Amino acid sequence: MQPHSDEDSSSIHHDSIPSGDTSVWADVSPLLSAACFDLQEGQLINGDNFHLFAAMSALEIMDPKMDSGMVSTFYSIDEAIESGFAPVPISSDSIVNVQSIIDIMDHLLACEATWHMGHSLAQTVFSCIYVLRPERTSSQALLHSYCRVIRSTCRAVVSVVSDARTNEEEDLFTMTYGLPFSGDEDAKGLLLLNAVEETICRQLRACKATRRRALEDAELEPLQTNPHLEESFCKALLCRIRFRKHFLHAINCMKRPQGRGLELARKHIAYCITELDSVLESAEFLRLDIVENGENGIEESTTASGRSPIGFDPTLNKRLSAPTPPRAIKLLSWKKAIDYYVKLLHNLDQICVFSLEPDLDHVLQFVIQFQNSRPDLVARAHLQLLLVQDGKLYGRDTFLTICARSLALDVSKNHGLHMNEYILQLNQLMINLLKILCANTPWQRRKLGKILNDWRVFHVQMGITVGQMMQGDSSRASKNGDKSLIILNHIYGWLDEQINWVAIRFLMLGFDLDLYSSSEYCMVYWYMYIILWKLAERARFRVLIIVNTEERKAKRNKEYSRDMVREDRISLWVLFLQCQTSLAQGLAVMIAALRNEGMCLKTEGPFNTENEKFIQHFELLQKASLPEYDAYESFSESTSHARLDYLPMYEYFHDAQKIAKDIKVGYANDPDKLAEVRGLEKVAERNIVAVNLFCQDRSLKVSFEFTHHPYFATAVVRRS
Amino acid sequence: MEQEAERSTNIVPSTSDLDPIARVRKLLFRQMLVGVKDGRFFLGNFHCIDKQGNIILQDTVEYRSIRRSSPSPTEQRCLGMILIPSSCRTSCHVDCSIEEQLSLIQLKA
Repeated sequence: MQPHSDEDSSSIHHDSIPSGDTSVWADVSPLLSAACFDLQEGQLINGDNFHLFAAMSALEIMDPKMDSGMVSTFYSIDEAIESGFAPVPISSDSIVNVQSIIDIMDHLLACEATWHMGHSLAQTVFSCIYVLRPERTSSQALLHSYCRVIRSTCRAVVSVVSDARTNEEEDLFTMTYGLPFSGDEDAKGLLLLNAVEETICRQLRACKATRRRALEDAELEPLQTNPHLEESFCKALLCRIRFRKHFLHAINCMKRPQGRGLELARKHIAYCITELDSVLESAEFLRLDIVENGENGIEESTTASGRSPIGFDPTLNKRLSAPTPPRAIKLLSWKKAIDYYVKLLHNLDQICVFSLEPDLDHVLQFVIQFQNSRPDLVARAHLQLLLVQDGKLYGRDTFLTICARSLALDVSKNHGLHMNEYILQLNQLMINLLKILCANTPWQRRKLGKILNDWRVFHVQMGITVGQMMQGDSSRASKNGDKSLIILNHIYGWLDEQINWVAIRFLMLGFDLDLYSSSEYCMVYWYMYIILWKLAERARFRVLIIVNTEERKAKRNKEYSRDMVREDRISLWVLFLQCQTSLAQGLAVMIAALRNEGMCLKTEGPFNTENEKFIQHFELLQKASLPEYDAYESFSESTSHARLDYLPMYEYFHDAQKIAKDIKVGYANDPDKLAEVRGLEKVAERNIVAVNLFCQDRSLKVSFEFTHHPYFATAVVRRS
Repeated sequence: MEQEAERSTNIVPSTSDLDPIARVRKLLFRQMLVGVKDGRFFLGNFHCIDKQGNIILQDTVEYRSIRRSSPSPTEQRCLGMILIPSSCRTSCHVDCSIEEQLSLIQLKA
């Protein structure tokens, strides 16, 4: 029991916390301590409604991990300001002033990058008092405009990410509750920053012209007093300001509807990258006096100079986020923040160069390629916003048009189709699929597994309806030139291909997430083979439809020019799938043979049977009838008799190798795809060699590596 | 108000008869104001206390002053159920009528 002291309580509670009208606050501390003294160990004084379980969820006051209200350095932002924590101007010494502003800029960059990585704004960017209260710095144009632009940028990014809702896994990102997010004042920041940039530019020119004298002649007020340092300071500031400016422009351009601002955004992105280089270069100059002081730890520092910045306190806002304090976060270092921005800008650039072709195959390929570099939240949000706008692809084409186009069908005459309930549903499924493909890898895989079932249910329902319609009035439809039914029928067939595409993406992402152990590769490749085979089959069927339609069109209209580029692209895609199919089949058989001959681990572990593991991995696929039969039974039947001297195994790899060789020419213009095909070819080649070695010497040790392709393993043989 | 009056009539005559535990039991569900070391106050319904003097309040509002120097304006925040360890408690008051206050003070003497 704490002794009760009157001084502590007198000022605040009697004055400011009202008791009832005719009642007073009576001190019960002595009574409580007396009661506690009388209580038995473990005894409680509690009412009837007391539940120990519920009481466990009480917030513990003064526990640093639970009580966000605990008074830390300052009681409030106002108090921090009054105590001179964030002075304006920062220093009366102009050199220190400029240096401090640069430190603040650098630290804010690190804060912003940390925020992008999924932490809350309150703990990162808004831990800066100058950003929280920009009106205080209105006399300091440089700091003021920079902070305003930071705020505008944060707003722009929050709006992109919350529109795209790609942040489900990083849900702190868009939380701005309680933060001063007034847009109007911040909008002026960019104008101000431009003016500041101009002034510093003139100063820099003056420095370069005749150094000291020019500065004195022109009525320019130097940034600081030491003329020898002026040029470097000007440069260091300019690149930071310009980066901010172009970054905000780039983000705003990319937000324009239908991808209209992408070209301009690209220019701004290029500027940003160059400015970042200059920012990096400026570190040498900024670090000069620090190095002399012999300080180290620059790598971990959040500023270029290595000094800690003025005016930041992450605890100031912590009560805004939740009753419990947020976890303490570690800010990215300045260097890592710059690396992050370089990556972000490259990802954004990738989006900007994307040709907005209304071709679904092309879009899906692009998204997959884009995701390969594991882009972060902000870039993914931008891609998603670009792809899906107003329920249309790029905000331009309906998904009916897109799907029909991938079958070389023209739906422009069939207006009724747009209102067809299946088409409306298809639209929704496609939007969902594209959004999921823009999510981060774990989330993406989980969601893909879940939507498989939706797609299958939709497919079955559509099949029933279309079947009935076909039987009912096929004759009437063809007479009046309404091709709706034919289109629906083709889309029905195409759906099956799409379902298999989702399934294979789901399986392959398992490799990205390291979900498969090497003892399970056999079943994974077997399953991939089943799905790939079906997918390739379906895609081949689609090629036939396209070629057929195009030929008919060409016959009817002599001047009709066939879209050979697309035809070739799809044919190539089919071959690519066939190559992967052979490879998956070869790997499944090879690993099964190795297992049967006792050269590699069995799937059986002490805990789960092979069947259980099979179900764990592929339950979602089986629920979506992929394949329609009992997959495990088929798997164990087809793999139990595999032997190393089983000749077709070589053929699978040889087939894959041959197809890969053939399609390399077709992908000559696409370096990423070409590299992947080369990878597949190498996998086939190495595995043939490995199989030969196994056959000669069965005492060899086998392991699997993913050196040539992320999803297709290469067998590595070791003696001993 | 009437309730308040009732309560006080209940408690006043019985103060000397009851042991402290029973008297504290009578305080359950009433508004309690607890001050803690860092200067904040918590106003909530008295829910539970244990041998060690840790108090649980329900539907609590946190009051804190904006500046270190007093007097200063206060800030409020709703917290729900909280546990105040006895080690950081500096004061503890209950909302009651003046007569009741007198009876509570008797214990001190």
